Amino acid sequence: MQAFIQVYGFLLVTMVLQATLALSLYLPLMAGQLSLASPGFYAIGGYVAALLSTRVFPVERGLYPVPPFLFELFVAALLCGIVAVIVGFTALRLRGIFLALATIAVVEIIRVSAVAFQDFTGGQIGISAIPDPIGSQFGYILVAAPLLLFAMFFTYRLERTRVGRAFTALREDELAAAAIGINPMAYKVLAFTLGAMLAGVTGVISAHLLSTWNPSLGTFDGSILILAYVLVGGSRTFLGPVVGGMLLTALPEGLRALAGVNGLPEWLSQLLKDSRLILFGVLIALGAAFFPQGLITPDLFRRREPAPLNNPPTPVAK
Amino acid sequence: MTLTFVLQNLFNGIAIGSVYAIFALGYTLIFSILRVINFAHGAVFTLGAYFTYVLLGSKFGFNGLLANLSAPIALPFLLAMFVGALLAGLCGVFIERVAFRPLRTRGADPLLSLVSSLGVAVAIVNLIQYLVGAEAYSYPDNAFGSLPPAVNFGGSPPILIRTKPIIIFIACIIIVTLLTYLINRTKLGKALQAIAEDSITASLLGINPDRLILFTFFLSGFLGGLAGTLVGVNFSIAGPNFGITYGLRGLAVIVLGGLGDIPGAVVGGFVIGLAEASIGFLPSQYSPLRDAVPFVLLFIILLVRPQGILGRALIQKV
Amino acid sequence: MQPSDSVPRITTPKSAGLPTLEVHNIVRNFGGLVAVNNVSFGVHKDEIFGLIGPNGAGKTTLFNIITGLTMPSSGRLVYDGRDYTGEKPHQIAQKGIARTFQNIRLFGNLTALENVMIARHTHTHSNLITGVFGLPPGPAEERRTREKSMELLDLIGLADRAQMQARNFAYGDQRRLEIARALALEPSLLLLDEPAAGMNTNEKAGLSDFIRGVRSDFQLTVLLIEHHVPLVMGLCDRIAVLHFGDLIALGQPTAVQNDPAVIEAYLGDE
Repeated sequence: MQAFIQVYGFLLVTMVLQATLALSLYLPLMAGQLSLASPGFYAIGGYVAALLSTRVFPVERGLYPVPPFLFELFVAALLCGIVAVIVGFTALRLRGIFLALATIAVVEIIRVSAVAFQDFTGGQIGISAIPDPIGSQFGYILVAAPLLLFAMFFTYRLERTRVGRAFTALREDELAAAAIGINPMAYKVLAFTLGAMLAGVTGVISAHLLSTWNPSLGTFDGSILILAYVLVGGSRTFLGPVVGGMLLTALPEGLRALAGVNGLPEWLSQLLKDSRLILFGVLIALGAAFFPQGLITPDLFRRREPAPLNNPPTPVAK
Repeated sequence: MTLTFVLQNLFNGIAIGSVYAIFALGYTLIFSILRVINFAHGAVFTLGAYFTYVLLGSKFGFNGLLANLSAPIALPFLLAMFVGALLAGLCGVFIERVAFRPLRTRGADPLLSLVSSLGVAVAIVNLIQYLVGAEAYSYPDNAFGSLPPAVNFGGSPPILIRTKPIIIFIACIIIVTLLTYLINRTKLGKALQAIAEDSITASLLGINPDRLILFTFFLSGFLGGLAGTLVGVNFSIAGPNFGITYGLRGLAVIVLGGLGDIPGAVVGGFVIGLAEASIGFLPSQYSPLRDAVPFVLLFIILLVRPQGILGRALIQKV
Repeated sequence: MQPSDSVPRITTPKSAGLPTLEVHNIVRNFGGLVAVNNVSFGVHKDEIFGLIGPNGAGKTTLFNIITGLTMPSSGRLVYDGRDYTGEKPHQIAQKGIARTFQNIRLFGNLTALENVMIARHTHTHSNLITGVFGLPPGPAEERRTREKSMELLDLIGLADRAQMQARNFAYGDQRRLEIARALALEPSLLLLDEPAAGMNTNEKAGLSDFIRGVRSDFQLTVLLIEHHVPLVMGLCDRIAVLHFGDLIALGQPTAVQNDPAVIEAYLGDE
C-alpha cells in the first residue's frame, strides 16, 4: 500500500483535481454556455496562492499553516468571482462560436498579463518555493477530494432546484426560457461565475501541490484537455465530467505502463509514452463527430416512459 | 526613434499582416461556403512549414522519432514552398473527410465541427511533435536566393529595410488579387458562390457541391501551408504547437475583419499585424504583450461590433 | 376550478373601458421593408382577440414586438396602464404576458412535467443557496411547484404522460403542452401564435373549446394569430386584420367579414 501511494499518490491527486476542473466547464455548460476560460481562472487562483504564501504570509520552516491556506481559498474564489462577473456580463452576450472564442481570448490575455507584469508575477519563470501545508503529495487528497465531492454534491443538487432548472431551460432554448420569465443574462453569468470560482480554488490547491506556479499552467492547451474530459466523459450529467477527468488523466499512465511491456517495438513504446495529446485529439474529434453526449449519459440513469408505439415521435422545432 | 526604425516596424507590421491575411483567407474560404470554422487550419499551417523544411533537404533535430533524418532531396526554396503548400492542401482534403464530412451529412451544429476539427488539429500537431520533436526550426538564410538582405531607400543616413517583409507583402498582394479574380471572375468561383448561397439549388443546377467543397479545403490548406512557410522564413518555426496558437490568432483576424469575405480577412490581417508591430515602439520589457494583441482586439470587437469591421449585422430569426 | 393560491397579483384599478393591452402607432422597419406600419389597437380584459392576415402581413412581427423579442422602430406599448416599450422578454413575461410560438418551442428533451415546472420560475423564490442546501423556502417550494405543475397538466389533460419527453408527444398535444407551460406563468394575457397550425379538423374544433375554457377557467385575456379564418370567426370576440403591415379592419367578426376592404384583400381565401 505504501509503495502504491508512493508511486501513484501524485497521480491520484491530479485525477481528482482534473475532475474538479472538468466540473468547472460543466457548470456554464448547464446553462448552454461553452466556456473555455477555466484555465485562466485556474491560473488566477494559483497566483493568489503563490503571492499570498510567498510574499504576504511567508513561512520560515515547517508546514504552511492552515488558516492562511483557507484564506487563500477564499480570496481566490472571491477574485475569480469578481473577474468572472465582469467578463461574463461582457462576453456572455455572445453565442456559440463567438462565445467560445471570447473565452479563449480571456485565457490568453490572462496568460500574457502574467508574463508581462513580471515584477508582480515573476514573468515567464513564475513563482517558486510555494510552501506546503500538507507534507506529502498524496496528503493533498485530504483537500482535493472534499472539494470534488462538494462540487459534485453542489451540481447534483443544482440540477434539482429552481436555479438549476433555469440553467437547463437556457441550455435547451434561450428564447423560450426568456419567454417564461427567466432572465438569461443573470443566470448565464451565474453559471459562468460558479465555474470560474471552482477553477480558481482548484488553482490554489495545485499551486501548493506543485510548489511552483507560472504562466504555462493556464493556457489554451488546458482548455483542450478540459474540453476532452467533458466531451468524452459526458456533457449531460455531472458524473460525466468527473469520470472523463479521472479517466483521461489516468489513461496516459496506463499507456506508459503498457509501454513498459516487454517485446514492444521501440517506436510503439515511445508512441505510447508521449502520445497523450495525440490520443486526446483523436478522442475529441471522434467524440464530437460521433458521440457528442459522451460516455455517461442521462439515459443511463433516468427511467423515462418510452414513446407510445402508435405515435411516432414528432420533431420539436428548435 | 529614427525614421528607419519607424519604417522597419511599419514594414514588419505589413509583413505580419500579409501572412495573417493569407492564412485567414483559408478560414474565410471554408466559412463562406460551409458556415463552419475549420480549427484544423492551424495544423495545415504547421504541416506546410514542415513539408517545406523537408523538401529543402534540411535535417531534423535530435528529438522525435525521425531524429537526425533528412530527405534525400534539396529543392530550391520557392519550389519547396510551393510543393509544401500543395501537400498541405492535400492534408486539408484529408481533414475535410475526417472531421467535417461526417458532421455535415448529419446536419450537426457548427460548434461540433469546430470542436471536432480542434481535435484533429491537436492530434496532427502532436503527431508532428512525436515525429520530429518540439524544437524551433529555421530556414536557411539565403531562402530568397541572391536578393540583398535589405533594400536601400536612399536618404542620408540611408534607410535600410529588410527585404523579406517586402517580398512577403508583394506575395500577399499577388495572392489576394488571384483569389479575388478566381472567386469573382471564373466559372469555378461563381460555382463556389452559388454553393455558399444555397447548396441544394446549386446541385440542382448541375454543380457538384462535394467536389467543390474538396477543392475549397484544398485551396484553404494550400494557403495555410503557404502562410506557415512564410512565417518560418520571416522568423522561424517555433515548434509544432505554434500552429495551434497561430490558428487562434487567425480566428481573431477573421472575426475582426468580418467573417466570410476576402476583404474582411485582409483588413483584419493588416489591422492586427500593424497593431502587433506597434508594440515594438514600447520599451522592450513590454514585448511579451505582443502575443496578447490579437486577443485583446478580438475581445473588443466581439463586444463592440461582433460582425467585424466589414461584416454585415447578424440577425437572428425567431 | 380555483385559481392557484400563490402571491396575489397586484392589479392597477382601471377606469371603465381602458384596455388591458394597448398598442400605439407601432412601426417596424427592416432595412427598406416596412413590416408593421403604424398599427394601433387595444385588447380588453377577458376578451379573445384575433389577429388575422396572410403570410408576411406582419402578425408574428407584431407579436414579437408585444413580447419584447423585437424592438419597434417607433410607437408605444402599454399594459395595465403602464408603458412597457423597450423592456426585455423576460421582464414582460414576469408582468404576466405569456406566449406560445408558431414553431412550438418546447424543451424537447425534457419531460412534460419538467417543461411546466420550469415555467413556475417567476412565482417561486428559492435562490442558489436555499435550493442547493435544502434550506427554507426551498424544499416546500419544490413540493408546491411539482404539485401545481401536475395540477396544470391534469387540467390540460396531459397528466398521464407527465414523465414523457416533450418531443415524443403528438403534434396537437405538444401545442397543448406549450399552452400549459405558458399558463404556469399565471399570466393575465396569453398570446397564441397560430395555435391551430398543423392540426386536423377534429383537433381544430377541440382547440376552440379548449381556448374558451382556458380563458374562463384562468380568467385570461387572449390574443391570437391565426390563419384559419372559420376558427377565428367562431372563437374571437373581436378581430383585427393585417395586410402587408397595415391594419385594414378592426371589429366584431361579422362586421369584419363584410368589410369591403377585407373582402378586396382576401378574394377567394378560405
